[in-house]
Amino acid sequence: MKSKLLVMILAGTMAFTTLTGCGSGTQTAGESSAGAEVQTNKAEAGTEEVSASGEAIRIVNGKIEIDEPLKAFAKAYQEKTGQEVVIESLGGGVDINGTLKGYLAAGNMPDIFVFGGEGDYQTWKEYMTDLSGEEWASQTDFGFKSEDGKVVGFPYAVEGYGITYNKNVLEAAGIDPASLVTYDAYKNAFETIDSKKEELGLTAVCSVAAESGQMYWSTGNHLFGYYLSAGLERGDDKYIDMLKEGSIDNDRLGQFADFIGMLFDYSDQSTLVSGTYDDQLALWAQGKTAFITQGNWIDPSLPDYNVEFDCGIAPLAFSKEEISGVLADCPSWWSVYNNGKNTDACKAFLNELATSEEGQKCLVIDCGMISPYETCTVTPTTPLAVSLKTYVDAGNTYSWGWTKMPEGIAMNSTGAVFELYAKDEIDKDTFVAMMGTAIADYVK
Amino acid sequence: MEQNVRRVISILFVLFGVFSVIYALYLDIFDKDAGGRGILLIGGIFIIILGTYLLPSKKHTTIINVLFLLPLLAAFAITVIIPFICGIFYSFTNWNGIKFTEFVGLANYIEMFSSPDYLYSLLITFIFTILNMLSVNLAAFALALLCTSKVRGRNFYRAAFFLPNLIGGIVLGYVWQFIFNKVFTSFIAGSLSMLTDPNLALAAILIVSTWQYAGYIMMIYVTGLQGVPKDIIEASGVDGASGFKSLIKIKVPMIANTFTVCIFLTLVNSFKQFDLNFAITNGAPSRILGMKAIASTEFLALNIYNTAIAKNQYAQGQTKAVVFFIILAIVSLTQVSIGKKKEVEL
Repeated sequence: MKSKLLVMILAGTMAFTTLTGCGSGTQTAGESSAGAEVQTNKAEAGTEEVSASGEAIRIVNGKIEIDEPLKAFAKAYQEKTGQEVVIESLGGGVDINGTLKGYLAAGNMPDIFVFGGEGDYQTWKEYMTDLSGEEWASQTDFGFKSEDGKVVGFPYAVEGYGITYNKNVLEAAGIDPASLVTYDAYKNAFETIDSKKEELGLTAVCSVAAESGQMYWSTGNHLFGYYLSAGLERGDDKYIDMLKEGSIDNDRLGQFADFIGMLFDYSDQSTLVSGTYDDQLALWAQGKTAFITQGNWIDPSLPDYNVEFDCGIAPLAFSKEEISGVLADCPSWWSVYNNGKNTDACKAFLNELATSEEGQKCLVIDCGMISPYETCTVTPTTPLAVSLKTYVDAGNTYSWGWTKMPEGIAMNSTGAVFELYAKDEIDKDTFVAMMGTAIADYVK
Repeated sequence: MEQNVRRVISILFVLFGVFSVIYALYLDIFDKDAGGRGILLIGGIFIIILGTYLLPSKKHTTIINVLFLLPLLAAFAITVIIPFICGIFYSFTNWNGIKFTEFVGLANYIEMFSSPDYLYSLLITFIFTILNMLSVNLAAFALALLCTSKVRGRNFYRAAFFLPNLIGGIVLGYVWQFIFNKVFTSFIAGSLSMLTDPNLALAAILIVSTWQYAGYIMMIYVTGLQGVPKDIIEASGVDGASGFKSLIKIKVPMIANTFTVCIFLTLVNSFKQFDLNFAITNGAPSRILGMKAIASTEFLALNIYNTAIAKNQYAQGQTKAVVFFIILAIVSLTQVSIGKKKEVEL
């Protein structure tokens, strides 16, 4: 009898502890699984007297490189308004969509989350809040709009790319960067520089990487983006719509292929077929090539290579006709989760980030990005951002139409065709034909 | 009399517990925003356990045994059985990682087998599996013979050969990628990296995979070889068998079960190869088949990953994973049953 009693007591205690464990678990699940980072923020907040406007808002940011400035801004914001903001940055190879899907399934969805364009929008559209009425929404063209014209994505940066050049080399070779707006101008420039390679200290004219396993995003997305959007008004989705139906404009793609072929011919061959992003960047940043097919995101890496030359971005002008602008757009947007408890606090925070001077400073100076807002008065300081800003200010940019391509097409399909072209295994006509079949197969 | 009262009480307990569990699940599945459903669920489970414990019956000991097995069974169900069933279920829907809107029947399976990249991936995985199984086992067995011979410093060799296995696959992959791209190309000046040719890239993955895995398999062979009784070897020596003959006629048959284990391990591991594949080539270089460009070294696991993550087609990826499991199960069960027949009982 005594042992029975003991068993009962033990079982009872066990049940009790389990139940209490569960009880507190359900209440704090939101915070506890967000990771250690959040915990420390909470601890800090505890000493500072919060609770002015309720619970903390949590942001999942997809650009790990701006984690620190954002956190600093969030802290300043908390001191100013009493609203606690927790920044959780994902990046460095983390599958952001997968992580967010996990958060959603676990009932741990952040109040503001990042999404990367059309494909992600389709996945997440039911969870987004309409932000059209916000102050910042009228100050930018870069907000992500839903099918019915509502602004659902908060833009926080503009990125742009084209053919980035080493200005010193171009000057020494007697080429005016501003003239690089047609195929012929590039042909002329490549030939001139190639003939003076030795005196300019170059090993090749261009630094391009087209290996399909790791550089598909550069070729299949970025370079191909010029075929899709160059020369078109923002909102003109002519070539995207064709692509979604599985067809291509043979003539335009032919011109594009001519240019890409020339670009590949004047590139460092080893980097072209087997180089990684780092190899490609190192080659250019060490002054061994005049051009690189990357954009203003390489700004933060320039000090690593002690870059002293001046540089800028020129359009990838593949056509005989003039293409004077570069492709510039938001790489990703922030969206406010519509089932969050704090949508008003989120909106207030986004407004502050977009319109206040501290917010602009955080985005432009500390994060080294270009503000998508017309009202932004802070000017960037890094060379490529400065160069890109001249295009943005002049309204001389084209959209990143490639973000509307079917998801994964560059990685699983078109990137491979670029690689074959780079390795000279196919000629221009085959390239055009294979791109056609690759796209048609992918969208069917 | 007392028996009956206890029986009634315990049955009431069980019923009450079952009801509370069902109600908690109902609240959860239909998304009713009611607090305390966790407590209800766990509490219900405990009351069921209590009820069955109190139930007067001749099979009391059996009930207790089952109750003690419950934590293990629950863990196994939650981490293996339930996800597996969910996975099969999702493969018949258009699940996108968040939710599904309709059942598509066998459409995912049909689409999968009609896409050339998947079929190519299947083929290249089989080729890789066979080649890798051979190369790993040959290398490992040779190393094991070296490490059990009387060569000087064999303990050092043993540790050294095992070392690559301790480095993570992704790190190893990137290191070797650098070696293939930079080191080899500068040894043979002007040559292009191995990773730019479809066949050589497959060979490159084979080399790294063998280098990484042979040490581990070697350890198993070493253990097997050390288990061969010395007296039999000596007896064969007395009878005039050469070293090679005693290896073929005595050692190999004696360690047949070790071969079964090693071949099974390498077979399964090669088939599931992901990290090296991902880090070294990530599917590149491309190969022309017909008029299509196809990623020449994209093995099945990577193909599944790319389908689910890059293409955001979770249901399709899940379908491929189900088929992947079935193939893996068939291949390894066949291999084990064949291997078992060849084993010698001591």
